[in-house]
Amino acid sequence: MERSHHGPFTGAVTAAALLFLFVPIGVVVLFSFHSTGGLSFPFRGFSLRWYEQVFGSPEFRDASLNSLVVATATAVVTLPLGTLAAYGLSHTRSRLRGPLALLFFLPLTLPGLFIGLSLLVLFTEVEIRASLSTVTIAHLVYVFPYFMLVAVAALNRLDVALEEAAADLGANGWLVFRRVTLPQVWPVLVGGTSLAFALSFDEFIITFFVIGADSTLPMFIWSTLRRTVNPSINAISTLLLMVTLVLFAVSFVLTFRGGRKRGGAIGGEELMEEALAGETFGTGTGTRT
Amino acid sequence: MSGALPRVRLDRVTHRFGDVTALDSVSLDVHEGEFVTLLGPSGCGKTTLLRIVAGFERPTEGSVILGGDDVTRAPAHRRPVNMVFQRPTLFPHLDVSENVAFGLRIAGVPRDEIRVRVARALALVRLGGYEGRRNYELSGGQMQRVALARALVNEPKVLLLDEPLSALDLKIRLEMEAELRRVHRETGATFVYVTHDQREALALSDRIVVLNDGRVEQVGEPDLVYRHPASPFVARFVGDSNVLAVEVEAGGAVARIAGHSVPVRSDGIPPGPAWLVLRPEVVRLSPPADEPGLRGVVRDVSFRGTGHSYRIEVPGLHDPVKAEMREGGPFALNDEVALGWDPAACRLLPRSADEP
Repeated sequence: MERSHHGPFTGAVTAAALLFLFVPIGVVVLFSFHSTGGLSFPFRGFSLRWYEQVFGSPEFRDASLNSLVVATATAVVTLPLGTLAAYGLSHTRSRLRGPLALLFFLPLTLPGLFIGLSLLVLFTEVEIRASLSTVTIAHLVYVFPYFMLVAVAALNRLDVALEEAAADLGANGWLVFRRVTLPQVWPVLVGGTSLAFALSFDEFIITFFVIGADSTLPMFIWSTLRRTVNPSINAISTLLLMVTLVLFAVSFVLTFRGGRKRGGAIGGEELMEEALAGETFGTGTGTRT
Repeated sequence: MSGALPRVRLDRVTHRFGDVTALDSVSLDVHEGEFVTLLGPSGCGKTTLLRIVAGFERPTEGSVILGGDDVTRAPAHRRPVNMVFQRPTLFPHLDVSENVAFGLRIAGVPRDEIRVRVARALALVRLGGYEGRRNYELSGGQMQRVALARALVNEPKVLLLDEPLSALDLKIRLEMEAELRRVHRETGATFVYVTHDQREALALSDRIVVLNDGRVEQVGEPDLVYRHPASPFVARFVGDSNVLAVEVEAGGAVARIAGHSVPVRSDGIPPGPAWLVLRPEVVRLSPPADEPGLRGVVRDVSFRGTGHSYRIEVPGLHDPVKAEMREGGPFALNDEVALGWDPAACRLLPRSADEP
């Protein structure tokens, strides 16, 4: 084992940073179970009254349902479209591969404000009425590059020789994909899909521009907060946090562990490093020689 | 000419990657049941040639004919050939028997027949009982044997092998060579094998095709290629050789080298510049006698089990002369020795005057 060379100061700073990050979240979760309406210490005991109040609210139920519908639609459309795009991008021998990859990933760097505003202008120009459909379209634009990032990284890591071996054994393009490529990358694709769902489920800024009269869960929290500081907000936020956490965990496990378990074609850490190092953006041919 | 069509006919195959010519008008016939090896250094085009036969590359010019059918434009999955790759390419999500069954499943062979043929193929490569194993439960040699079974189970018209042993340890490699020879004998299949290892090529093949720089240097049986290399390149690449620049004298039985006259076998080479090819085992060293002749000084000695291997520095020659002696000597470092050889065992090759 490698011993740490860092002194007590480093430890203290790390602890302070972690406290700074997690104490506010902890406080919200804690006070969602508070037995009184107080939003500050002292803590007077546990109760589920805020959860009861939240679940009793028709607005909350509508907003949750809307969020579910939008996130599901976004995920369901992203999976096939993103898979096709990622497969094409990772397998093309075209010179446009680099520029195309850049175009696909560039939206990652755009501020949500910009995406929201430009979509609002677009929808107004072509006279599409703001609704959950426009929200779904906006979310597709937003989550697509994240899905691509994950899927292209996984597909680039696949051994081309395996696909050649399958073709050599008589499999046409579709069968190569179905019998060899897909069985190796499906955990990553499902992981990317739940990532898309999670990103859509708690998206606020872009939604704000294109939503119209409906509400989603983040919109509901925001509008409730505008009126009063109601302790039930803590309960809603905690619920949202749980859903998002679970989905990110699923996505993470499938993306970075799933590939390894199924024969080690895709190593988790390497894949992550590669994604972080931005190799996915690269114009290089990687293993495809 | 025999009436039977060759299993594989390559007709003036040329392949360019951009400005680089990987293959330059290569023609070759491979016959039914033959074990043909494409031998050459890395970058000589041998793997490209194999990939052209498999259908992974389309040649820039020329055609590929398999059993009479022109398949130049056919994609890989429509060709009656199967390949064993350099690295094991077993499908990681399938076990051994599923890997072997892959081609048969694609072809829609009935389940019962698949079971029988998979069992037979695994028995052929001596992996009966390994059906349920996964990739990571197999050694490198076992993986390549599964890959061999996976290819052979389809009864391909031609089996292509792309340096299948190069990733293995020497000991396993020697075992696998014996296995390949046995499998070739037992199946009677046509093998086209690619390697850069001349020892492997000599040990395995019915015929060797020596490739250099995208061109065929020589085609022949291992024995012929070894004894009668067609070019200095083949002489140096296949087995070890001393390739010495000499001037053949009128009459043809004597050549001048480094100021000395040495005996040669003329091989129909006209007087003038030529290459003298001497295998190390042909060179004979002896204590220097009084009569004039080629002499040198031992600069390196190593014991090789069956004998000694020497490097002799000869005044007037650029490279040391390599010699292997089973008996006689041993000579020590810095000993002066006389060099001789049986003229019948050496070989002359044409050389243009401007070649060094």
